[in-house]
Amino acid sequence: MSSWRSLLLRIGDKCPEYGTSSDFKEHIETCFGVLRRELEHSTNDILPFLLQCAEQLPHKIPLYGTVVGLLNLENEDFVRKILENTQTNFQDALDSENCDRIRILMRFLTAMMCSKVLQPASLVVVFETLLSSAATTVDEEKGNPSWQARGDFYVTCILSCLPWGGLEFVEQVPEEIERVMVGIEAYLSIRRHNSDTGLSFFEEYDDESGKDASEKDFLEDLWDRIQVLSSNGWKVDSVPRPHLPFEAQLVAGKSHEFGPINAPDQPEPLSQLAGVLYGKQKHHAELKYCQRIHRLNIFPASKTEDMEPIDRFIMEEYLLDVLLFLNGCRKECASCMVGLPVPFRYEYLMAETIFSQLLLLPQPPFKPIYYTLVIMDLCKALPGAFPAVVAGAVRALFEKIADLDMECRTRLILWFSHHLSNFQFIWPWEEWAYVLDLPKWAPQRVFVQEVLEREVRLSYWDKVKQSIENAPALEELLPPKGGPNFKYSLEEGKERTEQHALSAELIIKVKGRQTAREIISWVEESVFPHHGLEAALTVVVQTLIDIGSKSFTHLITVLERYGQVIARICHDQDKQIMLIAEVSSYWKNNAQMTAITIDRMMGYRLISNLAILRWVFSPANTEQFHISDHPWEVLRNAISKTYNRISDLRKEILTLKKSVVSAEDAAAKAKAELDAAESKLTLVDGEPVLGENPAKMKPIKSNAEKTKEEEISVRDSLEAKEALLARALDENEALFLSLYKNFSNVLMERLPDASKAQTLGALKSIQADEMIVDLDESSEMEVDNENGRPKKSQSNGEKASNVYKVGDKEQWCLSTLGYVKAFSRQYASEIWPHIEKLDAEVFSENAHPLFVKAVYSGLRRPVIETSSS
Amino acid sequence: MASLFKDPSKLSAYRDRRFSGTQEEFERALQTSTTVYIGNMSFYTTEEQVYELFSRAGEIKKIIMGLDKNTKTPCGFCFVLYYSREDTEDAVKYISGTILDDRPIRVDFDWGFQEGRQWGRGRSGGQVRDEYRTDYDPDILSLGGYGKLVQRELEQRQLVDYGTGSLGSFPPVMTPYYGRHGGSHGHGGYHRHGRDYHRKRHRDDDRHTNDSSRRTLDHESRRNSDPDSRPEKNPRFRESGDSDEDEEEYDRKRRS
Repeated sequence: MSSWRSLLLRIGDKCPEYGTSSDFKEHIETCFGVLRRELEHSTNDILPFLLQCAEQLPHKIPLYGTVVGLLNLENEDFVRKILENTQTNFQDALDSENCDRIRILMRFLTAMMCSKVLQPASLVVVFETLLSSAATTVDEEKGNPSWQARGDFYVTCILSCLPWGGLEFVEQVPEEIERVMVGIEAYLSIRRHNSDTGLSFFEEYDDESGKDASEKDFLEDLWDRIQVLSSNGWKVDSVPRPHLPFEAQLVAGKSHEFGPINAPDQPEPLSQLAGVLYGKQKHHAELKYCQRIHRLNIFPASKTEDMEPIDRFIMEEYLLDVLLFLNGCRKECASCMVGLPVPFRYEYLMAETIFSQLLLLPQPPFKPIYYTLVIMDLCKALPGAFPAVVAGAVRALFEKIADLDMECRTRLILWFSHHLSNFQFIWPWEEWAYVLDLPKWAPQRVFVQEVLEREVRLSYWDKVKQSIENAPALEELLPPKGGPNFKYSLEEGKERTEQHALSAELIIKVKGRQTAREIISWVEESVFPHHGLEAALTVVVQTLIDIGSKSFTHLITVLERYGQVIARICHDQDKQIMLIAEVSSYWKNNAQMTAITIDRMMGYRLISNLAILRWVFSPANTEQFHISDHPWEVLRNAISKTYNRISDLRKEILTLKKSVVSAEDAAAKAKAELDAAESKLTLVDGEPVLGENPAKMKPIKSNAEKTKEEEISVRDSLEAKEALLARALDENEALFLSLYKNFSNVLMERLPDASKAQTLGALKSIQADEMIVDLDESSEMEVDNENGRPKKSQSNGEKASNVYKVGDKEQWCLSTLGYVKAFSRQYASEIWPHIEKLDAEVFSENAHPLFVKAVYSGLRRPVIETSSS
Repeated sequence: MASLFKDPSKLSAYRDRRFSGTQEEFERALQTSTTVYIGNMSFYTTEEQVYELFSRAGEIKKIIMGLDKNTKTPCGFCFVLYYSREDTEDAVKYISGTILDDRPIRVDFDWGFQEGRQWGRGRSGGQVRDEYRTDYDPDILSLGGYGKLVQRELEQRQLVDYGTGSLGSFPPVMTPYYGRHGGSHGHGGYHRHGRDYHRKRHRDDDRHTNDSSRRTLDHESRRNSDPDSRPEKNPRFRESGDSDEDEEEYDRKRRS
């Protein structure tokens, strides 16, 4: 890497490139000095690299802005090109709806305005363009308010520039910027308050109290922070102002104009401001212009109180951008995260921000495992500070786990178990030993149990057992030791039945390498007629699973070799459910193998997703809904596999469509060549004849034929794939229809009458209310009966607050409703296309209002529609 | 995304001498591969542990354990095959250098598993790295103080013996697919190429649910017609000459 590159890249860092200095002014001078010399030869390299640095290291934008300002004194033309490039990129980003790029380029423009490169009035024009587009969008008559997400995004971008250049705007163009502020205030008064309870980390139980309306949404909150900033004279600690020491020089530079930009076209107005179409468009717009952060408050405010309100926003911007742009560069990412250019400590804020991403709904920008890695790396980079902060976050989230969204709980369990597996499984489990005194459905107890289960999967039973030695009683929550439960094992003293003999016979056949066909004949001729279908199914399934029980690969091998034997016996949904039941009985001590086996069987099409769904909603599993993740894991796998199949098909279709276009081009070209050749007059034996001479004609003709054939063949495969997709989508509709019907039914059986429980809060307090009536019998007594263990009397007083007051049935309802919401949210884009059918068949007046509410909240569907549907 | 800092470890620094193509083809294979190589594993680590960890990067198609030629037990490395390239990249980005079973594992792109590669190439039958082991990655070891961690032989665990059991020699069924599509043509792309191959296990199986019997019948007959694919093929009797001499090629020491 030549030196100017590394200087640009490393500017502002403590690094060898800049020697011992950590002074921004010196960095800028050094960098500028080298760039100035190189500019003559390397303009074409410097320009794109500088822009790339500014876009991908946005926390350094003030430094880059100042460097550009200094270059402007040397080479106006170079800087004009920078602005032209930026304008093109910015317009592209607006047109392609690239939110990160829009936001960051606006900050870069602001920084260039600060260093006198850009006229402030030009930037105000950009603001006004976006603001007017936003205002039109939310206008009910001219615009389309379902697209409010876009308007909100534009306004957020404008406000986001102010911490970087507010002071300069007020000094240089006070009236214009005031006009923008008034415009924003007007926008805020027309737009709808964004009450996105479907995406909040914690369940709101008192939803009728009007708390939601008083809570600020993201944009309102940002506006407040900017107001405070403005009243503080635009002073911000977290934004460096490296241009100030150079101001005297910078004013001499030419202040360029910025060409006009165009906001993208407005979406078509809607005839109705409610209804399915509105909901669908709103969903679409919110996918495109999604809010990149939902604030997660884990720690008491005292941990972050030395910051101004705006600092929090700026720190989040920095951290999220580092996470975004340095994804995949572990060392750079960790060192940027810990070395941001701010004068205060921010470990708590950093932890909250990372957890807010790990738990972000509907999904984080990257897979959760990325944030797991970042947290590990930060624990290593700041060994004295960060591990304790992480532990504090875990404790705080654990305290509130009963209110945490179901999807977030699952992610937290996966993260925490993985995190601990990287730190020798060390955790003060004794702090949580009290969960054993809670009923088995208490969310804290379930959390501990699931974390331990995942730890065992990542490691092994004895290891995890050892890791809880400071709270040995927790062993009760460890999963069973995981071995198989083979019906026909040849243990001493165990009765040998006819079926044992059949199983032994089958093992010999497999050992003797009989083919699947031979075994099918054996089953059909010898087993089925004499012993009946159920016995045949049990023997074959148990025995084959046992043969494949040694490892994942053994399982795959046996399914590939003998899957058709199973397929022959389990040919309809009822048999498939019996098959799943056998799998679950064989692996009753090993949830992971149960889930994997079912998943692979679905992969080999031995069982359908609908069969899995029916099995998950069978009574034995339904009872587990609030005390175990096992049925949910199987359900999640089945839906995600279905979804993966569909997205693979979509990708293939996209590729094929491109191939069709290029095949068409090739065919058309070959045809044109042929036509030209055919229409050409050639002299044959002195006579003019229509057509090229035969020797030349032949390859042209065959080429035309060949390309045409290729075109047809690509078209055929496209058609075939499209037909498959159409069928997959039908299957998807059936899947979601069945999923919701099942949810609706099991909930209907258990939810109290709608008149008694109109809100989750009411549902939650049913049991508590009953307990108050029943003062004498303390809830602890019930807990102990439940566990069948003697009560430890000495812990009475201090742990009284930990008693979980929600009853068995109520918790079942709360958990299940939580999963309804989580599934709806995760697959919202797949569910919306089938909404009419679902409305007609499931979400009708007969459905329980709490169920419908959970679905709507997950789909982020405006609730007004209930009456219209 | 992060194009400013090219991560040098992103494409593997080593070159498998068993790869028959040119360097360019090798790089292309790595860039399109959906297979990762995992090294520095504990011998006790099971496929299920690997599954639990690596499925957090995406849906897993297959796991192939590296086995000691003589004992038929795991010898510290494995391959994981994904369905999608994106998931493969994420596994390399997010799992390499983290801990599995108390050991910092190394995850690299791999040009694609081929039959035979599951056998350790060291003279004694195990993984080469194991015999020449130096500390895995001093960077990582120093960061977290893992150096101090002595792996306690808590392990009443048993090594998985892949050599015995009703299925006979191991692993019998995957042989043909790699041999056919991996070795000779189109390195790297083969994971999704071979139509027959993915009809069997590609998650977007083209066929309808009820067709599963036809699927497997088809599978069976095709396999029987393929002479290379006899499940009976016993790795103990694999042709000699493809193992012991190439000890170094699996040594994935970083170029430093």
